[in-house]
Formats: sequence, structure tokens, C-alpha cells
Amino acid sequence: MSTHFAEVLARESACLAGVTDGAKLADWRRRVVQELMTPLSPYVFALRQTGDVPGRADFLDRWRELLAETVDRLLRSGTTGDTHSSGQTRRTDVDAQKTALLILAALHGGSTLSQITKDPWPLNAALDLALAPFTATEDNSPARTGTSSPIGNMNT
Amino acid sequence: MTTADPRNGRRLTARGAKTRARIVAAATDLMYVKGVGATTLDDVLAASGVSKSQLYHHFDGKDALVRAVIDNVGERVIEREREALGHVSTIRGLRRWRDVLVQNNALRHGAYGCALGSLASEVSDHDALAREALSRLFAEWQGLLAGVLRRLQDDGVLPPDASVDQLATGLMAALQGGYMLAQTARDVTPMATAIDMVLAHIESLSKR
Repeated sequence: MSTHFAEVLARESACLAGVTDGAKLADWRRRVVQELMTPLSPYVFALRQTGDVPGRADFLDRWRELLAETVDRLLRSGTTGDTHSSGQTRRTDVDAQKTALLILAALHGGSTLSQITKDPWPLNAALDLALAPFTATEDNSPARTGTSSPIGNMNT
Repeated sequence: MTTADPRNGRRLTARGAKTRARIVAAATDLMYVKGVGATTLDDVLAASGVSKSQLYHHFDGKDALVRAVIDNVGERVIEREREALGHVSTIRGLRRWRDVLVQNNALRHGAYGCALGSLASEVSDHDALAREALSRLFAEWQGLLAGVLRRLQDDGVLPPDASVDQLATGLMAALQGGYMLAQTARDVTPMATAIDMVLAHIESLSKR
């Protein structure tokens, strides 16, 4: 496995293991966004669509697994801040595997959009949506400049 | 008949325009299948059957050719998406749009990804002009998605406080990320799942 795949997995494995609540999830997210906006970061190389396809497929599977474990842990601990206006939580509707896949797709597609615009906003918008089940806020549409949620966007 | 070269404004004869189009078509196919990085000018010469001097008459190097490919792919994708999304005003219509993209990608086992997204993931850092062109094209595509969401909002399907631009951007990111995951897995499932998750989220907002 190429070095940037191994390095990202080592870092993600360590960081995601410590994500036990919404605030730590926000820390994780802030750090990943920063990595993906740094041109020579191993995260950027690891998500590039070139070269070693089997290696990348394996890397993405393992990252998705780490994300799914984290999502599952957060669901078990009840870190699902979002409460519908009806008062019914969304917790039971959340599928850890599918949520992990959406987070990975948001990182992948969001970073591509952010790299062409040189603006972290698209990546943050994508992550806001993917992490919506864990966003403790009445208003789940953080605006471009908004910081209303702990997992809200990081442009400020 | 003469037409203006879209890049340098030079007048092209009908024959010159035809040669240029042949080069761009060959480069578009090669870059879609092999990727931008792995496509050489020699590959383009071989696939298009034009001479080196003809190629350099139209393009002063690979960057110029890549930009012409971006224009070519962008025009096609935007035209397709305008037709597909321009009049959609229901969640059902949005799901039909999703079905077409997923079905088309499934035909190829997801192998090649989105023509525009693949270009974006490869050329983004070194060529500022290419990056700006891609950025404009994605803004236009996202604008079409935002248009659909705004019509949903106008009809009261989406709540007035839903952030249409953020949802449109999140949907585009999930679509592009889904294409990339499908391409790596050689399986369209991750793409379908990623879009479905976002559409379910949009639908959940409509039920609040």
C-alpha cells in the first residue's frame, strides 16, 4: 500500500478512535478539512483518482470502516443532537454504514469542488449535510457565515 | 466558411475547424478513459490521425488542449443537465434525474466516472485557467440543482429556511464523490447510495 494511504489511515485511525461526542467530531472535521485544503497533504494525494486502483479501493474501504465505527459509537452514546420540530429524534433512522459512505463521498467530492474553487465552502457544505444527524441545532441550515452549530462551517 | 477559434480568436477555415474538432474529440475520449495525466500528445496524434504540425497549429501544448477538452465536455454536460433539470419541480423528478445518472454509470460498472468531475480531480492544481473554467461549469451545474430546490421551496415542499445553495452544493459533492467511489470500486452502488442519502435528507426536510 502506498505511503500516503498508510499515513492517512494511521492518522484517521488514531483521530477517529477519540471521537466520542459532537465536539470531538467537530475537531476531527476541522482537521480533515484543513488537510484536504493543503496542496501537498497526504490526504490530497490519497484521494487523487490516479494510479493504484486496488490500493485505493482497499484504502477507501478501510477509511469507510473507521468512519462507520465512529458513527456507530456516536449513535450508541446518543450523540444525535438534531431533534425534529415534532420532538422525535432522527437517531433510529440513521444507518451507520450508509452514513459513513456519505461522509466519505462528501470528503471526496467536496474536496474536488473546494480545490477547483480554492474555497473550503463546498467541502464544508457537503460535510454539513453528511453530518446532519449529529448536528445539535434547531436550524440545520448553517449559512455561509454561520457558526450556529458545533459542526458548523469552518470558514470563520 | 470560416469560424473563429474559441481560444485565440484566430479565424479557422472549415477544414481547420474540422481538424481542430477531431483533435479535441480524440483528446476528450483518451482523457476520459485514461485520465488527463496518462494521456500524452503522442496518444492524441495517434488517435486523431493528424500530424504534429497540425496539432501545434491549433494548440501550443498539452495545457491548451486540456482547456479545449474542458470546454467540450463542459458544454455537453451542461446541455444534458439543463435538459434533465431545467423543468424539474418535484422530488420525484429529482429521483428520475438520479436514476438516469446511476443507470448510465451502471452500464460501465462505474468505471470512468463523471466526465467533468474526472477532469476536475486531475487538473485542479497546476493550471489556473483550467481550474477557473471548471469552477464556472460546476457553478452552472449546481445552479441548475439549486433551481430545482428553489422551485420545491416556492411550492412549499421545502421549508423557507432550508439553505438551497448549501443543499445543492452538498448534493453535487455527494454525486461527484459517489462517482469517484464507484470508479474505484468498479461498482455503481456507492454512487447510488450517496445520492439516495442526500435525496432522503432533502425529503426529510420536506416532511418537517
